[in-house]
Amino acid sequence: MNASNKKIRVLLTKSQLDGHDRGVRYLARKLREAGIEVIFTRYRSPGEVVNSALQEDVDVIGISFSVGGHTVISAGVIESLQEKGMGNIPLIIGGIIPGDDMSELLRMGVSGVFGPGARAGEVIEHIRTHVAKDL
Amino acid sequence: MFTRDTLEKDRELQERWKEKYQKLYKDIEFKAATASGIPVKPFYTPSDIEHIAFNEIGVPGDYPYTRGIYPLQYQFQPWVNQMSLGYGLPEQTRERMEMLKDAGMKGYFGAQSYNLPHDLVSKAGLDPDSPEARGLVGRGGVNISTIDDLERLFHDIPLDKTQIVQNIGSATMVGLAMFIVYAERRGFPGEKLGGNSMNWLYKAPFVDYAMFPPKSAFKLMVEFIKFCSRNMPRWNTTNICGYFIEEAGGNAIQEAAFTMATGIAITEACIKAGLHPDEFLPRFGFQFAQGNDFLEEIAKIRAIRRIWAKTNRERFGCKDQKSMQVRMHIHTSGCSLMAQQPLVNVVRAAFHTLGAVLAGTNAIHTSAYDEALGLPTEEAATLALRTQQVVLHETSIPNVSDPLAGSYYVEWLTSKIEEEANKLMEKIDQMGYIKAWETGWFKDELAKSAYKWREGIDNSERIVVGVNKYVSDEERKVPVFKIDPKIEETAVERVKKFRAQRDNARTKAALERLRNTARRVDEERPQGGDLMPAIIEAAKADATLGEMQGILKEVFGWGYAY
Repeated sequence: MNASNKKIRVLLTKSQLDGHDRGVRYLARKLREAGIEVIFTRYRSPGEVVNSALQEDVDVIGISFSVGGHTVISAGVIESLQEKGMGNIPLIIGGIIPGDDMSELLRMGVSGVFGPGARAGEVIEHIRTHVAKDL
Repeated sequence: MFTRDTLEKDRELQERWKEKYQKLYKDIEFKAATASGIPVKPFYTPSDIEHIAFNEIGVPGDYPYTRGIYPLQYQFQPWVNQMSLGYGLPEQTRERMEMLKDAGMKGYFGAQSYNLPHDLVSKAGLDPDSPEARGLVGRGGVNISTIDDLERLFHDIPLDKTQIVQNIGSATMVGLAMFIVYAERRGFPGEKLGGNSMNWLYKAPFVDYAMFPPKSAFKLMVEFIKFCSRNMPRWNTTNICGYFIEEAGGNAIQEAAFTMATGIAITEACIKAGLHPDEFLPRFGFQFAQGNDFLEEIAKIRAIRRIWAKTNRERFGCKDQKSMQVRMHIHTSGCSLMAQQPLVNVVRAAFHTLGAVLAGTNAIHTSAYDEALGLPTEEAATLALRTQQVVLHETSIPNVSDPLAGSYYVEWLTSKIEEEANKLMEKIDQMGYIKAWETGWFKDELAKSAYKWREGIDNSERIVVGVNKYVSDEERKVPVFKIDPKIEETAVERVKKFRAQRDNARTKAALERLRNTARRVDEERPQGGDLMPAIIEAAKADATLGEMQGILKEVFGWGYAY
């Protein structure tokens, strides 16, 4: 199998404590329909997100937030990715993210932020663009 | 319900209508359906409700309670302003409680009522210093882990004259045990406490939560109901909730069927444990959503009241009227609120609130217009309360109970939803509730509806103002509420200090006794003793919420069922 027809693998995840899964489950289905492999998990800590990403050998990590905590968790995930030498894996964030926080997340190194109302198509396009660079 | 003359006249007039239709619109076919997909006609007449016996509709306060559970509705007792409120540390939530109280928020008969969601950390049964809690302390509600936190939240409040809605997720038993111990220390015995627990241990099949496995969840719900039914006469033990079913994507039929099936499953489990339905059903409460399809949502509520009444009389042989009545709170739909042009949400929430009142609910939470952006600001939360106050005082609607009764369309739709919900309930009955939970059937059905809804928006089959029509590039900025991240440190320091200052040998012994009782209950050993008293003893010995819930998780299991 050569790189061009390798399926993109995405880890979609959400805190075990946050039950607002409607958006992320919708996105999972849309990604699958677009030919992207999706691994859906529920994490307990930023370290667990990175471990799942490593084990599943994913190209992109997506985390959904509905009640806050996005800056703290994203910072933890980015730090842990760098420690493990996985800093090249793009991290995307979605859910209820206030406008002010979007720019902060992007500054921290998050590759894309998709707030309420974002279309699945935008996420798919973002993933394809960012993963294409690595393949 | 109608005389032969009326029905004949109706058919004659319909023929005339058809002639006019063909003349004016020729072959054009007008097609419409409710949000749940029930096809509707352009208008309804007596022939459409001919099949409904008049006593199915009846009068307010009489079986089958289609028109409401009390003979007098808001004329005697307005709905409770049950505004879901709270965030951060207990002091911050207390500030919101005071603010809304000062803004005129009222409970039953003038008593104060506080609807208090706990944060995601307490709901999962964790203390704030748990590694899993990072970033989430005080999010989605108030963080409580010790009895000291309860004092910070409730000091000086007369607990015997106040209704407390304790929305604490999986930590139902532990949360109430701590509250009982706290109230006792303040001089208020358990039998004087009024309010309710959600007992939402059945939430996992609908919403993505880690939870006790289904069989354990039922054991624990029954233990809780048993204890409260016998010791807390003023406490509502269980809330059958359709709101989170709707928020997860459920339509009106699914919300009605899944809630009724849940009520039936819990009732059956209690009967199996030796309780009589009339002993515990009068203390069940309900919560539903009021979403966008105005009349369908009203018809849904009327249908639910009828289904519950009939089920409990016919299936469970209830004699007590209260066992057949749906005492309900309506939470106006959160998922219908949009981030784009957020002020439009004020209008949406006002329609939802009006619908809740026309449906005859007993309590309402009106969602704030900024909920799609973050936690409501004080201004947005006050405006939500004002919406209810305008409906109550300015529209004259509360003068007449169930004013939509007799509408050909509303009665037809009420009956149709009842019929469709019954079909779905039968399917669940055949499958078995626990199986539907374990296999993820409920979740899959809801995900399908959520997908359909979202696709409808994306391909513009479903119009949402400001989202896929009348879109504005100029986004009007509204203030977004922010929680100070430092509160997390405070909560962590507090719980550590609390543990350091207590008599740890005493706490440890009480937790050990709790573990032993929990094992006996789990193994269903005869004379196993009851679980709630053991939790109360541990709370008296200053065990924290996370420690007590930790033992329940260890003994009864924890995680995802599918």
